[in-house]
Amino acid sequence: MEIKCYIQASAAISPQQSFSGDYVPQFLPLEERNLLRAQEPGYAGFIPPNSLRRMSRLLKMGLTAALQCLRNANAPVPGAIITGTGRGSLQDTEKFLHDIRTYEETALNPTPFIQSTYNSVNGLIALQQQCTDYNNTFVHRGFSFEHALLDSLLQIQEGNAESVLAGGFDEMTVEHFFIKSRIGYWKTALTQPADLLASQTPGTIAGEGAVFFLVGTQPAPVEVKGIQMLYKPSPEQVASAVAQFLQKQGVSVGDVDLLVSGRNGDTRFDHFYDAVENVLPSSASNISFKQYCGEYDTAGAFGMWTAQQELLSGRHKTALVYNHFYGEQHTFILLQKH
Amino acid sequence: MISAIGNNVEENFRSLRAQRSGIGYSQFVDTIHRNVLPVGEVKCSSEELAKMAGLPDTTGFTRTTLLGLVAMQEALRSAGITNAAETPTAFINASTVGGMCDTEKIYFDILDPQKEGTFLQLIDTLDCADCTQRIADETGLTAYVTTISTACSSSANALMYGARLIRAGLVDRAVCGGTEALTRFTINGFNSLKNIDKRHCLPFDNDRNGLNLGEGAAYLVLESESFAQRRKARPMAELSGWCNTNEAFHPTSPSPEGDGAFEAMRKALEMGGLTPADVQYVNVHGTATLNNDVSEGRALERLFGDEVPAFSSTKPFTGHTLAAAGAIEAIYSVLAINRQMIWPNLNFTTRMEELRISPETRLLEESPVKNVVSNSFGFGGNNASLVISKYGN
Repeated sequence: MEIKCYIQASAAISPQQSFSGDYVPQFLPLEERNLLRAQEPGYAGFIPPNSLRRMSRLLKMGLTAALQCLRNANAPVPGAIITGTGRGSLQDTEKFLHDIRTYEETALNPTPFIQSTYNSVNGLIALQQQCTDYNNTFVHRGFSFEHALLDSLLQIQEGNAESVLAGGFDEMTVEHFFIKSRIGYWKTALTQPADLLASQTPGTIAGEGAVFFLVGTQPAPVEVKGIQMLYKPSPEQVASAVAQFLQKQGVSVGDVDLLVSGRNGDTRFDHFYDAVENVLPSSASNISFKQYCGEYDTAGAFGMWTAQQELLSGRHKTALVYNHFYGEQHTFILLQKH
Repeated sequence: MISAIGNNVEENFRSLRAQRSGIGYSQFVDTIHRNVLPVGEVKCSSEELAKMAGLPDTTGFTRTTLLGLVAMQEALRSAGITNAAETPTAFINASTVGGMCDTEKIYFDILDPQKEGTFLQLIDTLDCADCTQRIADETGLTAYVTTISTACSSSANALMYGARLIRAGLVDRAVCGGTEALTRFTINGFNSLKNIDKRHCLPFDNDRNGLNLGEGAAYLVLESESFAQRRKARPMAELSGWCNTNEAFHPTSPSPEGDGAFEAMRKALEMGGLTPADVQYVNVHGTATLNNDVSEGRALERLFGDEVPAFSSTKPFTGHTLAAAGAIEAIYSVLAINRQMIWPNLNFTTRMEELRISPETRLLEESPVKNVVSNSFGFGGNNASLVISKYGN
């Protein structure tokens, strides 16, 4: 890229204690089902009480993570707001579907319909911060957050914005968890996050979260060097693409000292992660972030956040995030500490 | 493209020229409102669409996907692309509720653990990515495959994003647009907002009382100029400017003075190096809702002053096709340029008391059209304006 882009701030609501306090990833115990629930923060101080009553869980999480990110950057109005969400507000979508049936299409409350619209979180952030500039929402599974990030970098390259608020958010409801269990998304036996990678079974554990970044031209410790997406590649294509991607960013394979990997213990797709690991030096550290956040469409945002935290800790200098969503949408993100 | 007024671009053109609306009562959506609320429905069953798309096996193909596939095949054919996979091509699609048209019929069967059957193959079609990927896979588009959902401005934003990927040098070609099928979910959603007129919609009329929903799909093939020249393509028009703004006013209403619409149009023209005087036609968003038309009309008056060019809403032809509207209307804008015509705003009789201006109600033929502004505005305050210009202006 011609113009350098840095991560000026971030905020993450996740199953971990990521929103406040120092980040120390934990293996959280599961009891009932293979689902890691996000730890919701107190919303007072972020959302006025009269709005709070009407808003569903994902809207609250998305808006609050966005606002905290802007507070962390001490920059209330970004130059653009660009988000990704694979599912939007599932709770509202489900509620409206159930209401249509229960009330037989009469006297329906429009609120869940409005909030189920995929760009509703974006609209709320813009409204609350009075940001009238570029505003976009990507809704493409494992490319949702990733295109939000690419679009953000393009806005900055084009000179349209000095800083862009980019985020990804998704929730998992019990109903949707069941739906996805019918087509093999999750492991059938209760599997603890600590045992996820060694489980030797298909499927994974579900997760959720809302992660935002403010990226911009103002220098900050972590630089976003580049992003690349691959749609339905073969493992060989992934392996050759990672080397080319690094070269294009002016980084040699040997420079990568941290791989933040989306490996999630799903035996059907592990070979993609093997392919990337084989390209990188064996000395590189390896963190598999889905043990901490679970699998969801925009988990890649938590992966990038994990990489940022690791770089800020000073333990590593060059981090490659590699993630894919059920073998279809594959992404490389390269971050570097300055 | 495919819409309530035709299964391809030429049929759409003929209906526009004949001033023939596609709005009527639904044949295919299972809702108690089907004989009460008029809609702009595509006049083909899903089986007929599958046949048109040449699909031998339609398992898992929702109506959203089928509409999109029919439109995509025409777009590629029309651009002279026989093998889309030969050139890395981005596919930027738009949808507001993805495969809901089919999943809403089986949703409670999916939730019932006792029930098994072929309906399970539709589980993963609920989101917006499913239609995009199936269309991409059928047609060989692989480079940047993604989906945008910004309510009614979705496919206008898809066009902008594709154009920007090309400008950034990431691809030489991007196919951009949107697909939307009518659903019980959306009909009830807008009806619960009291936003639907029981009559045929009346954009910019003082007596307007809401929109008619529609369905359809449209895609435009965008190429960098140098790439188009290299392959000796004949450009139909140029996407010369665009802008995306946010109202930051209310989750579902625009600001009364149309601040976002004004800025979107102003900056889109500025980007194209044009002044308001260069515009001969505005294809307005013109939903016929109480709020949109005041806001958009005020924005037109502010931007163009006393010289507001001919403007019309084509939604009385097609209904409001939500995520597909921006792309459908972008094609109508290209047609306005290439056929030198301005489309009439049907159903208009009385000027709005808030405005000084009225839409064009006649079909204008042999009308010089060089630059068109096409507007798409949506929930969440999302505004998008495109400027489409005669190529080689």
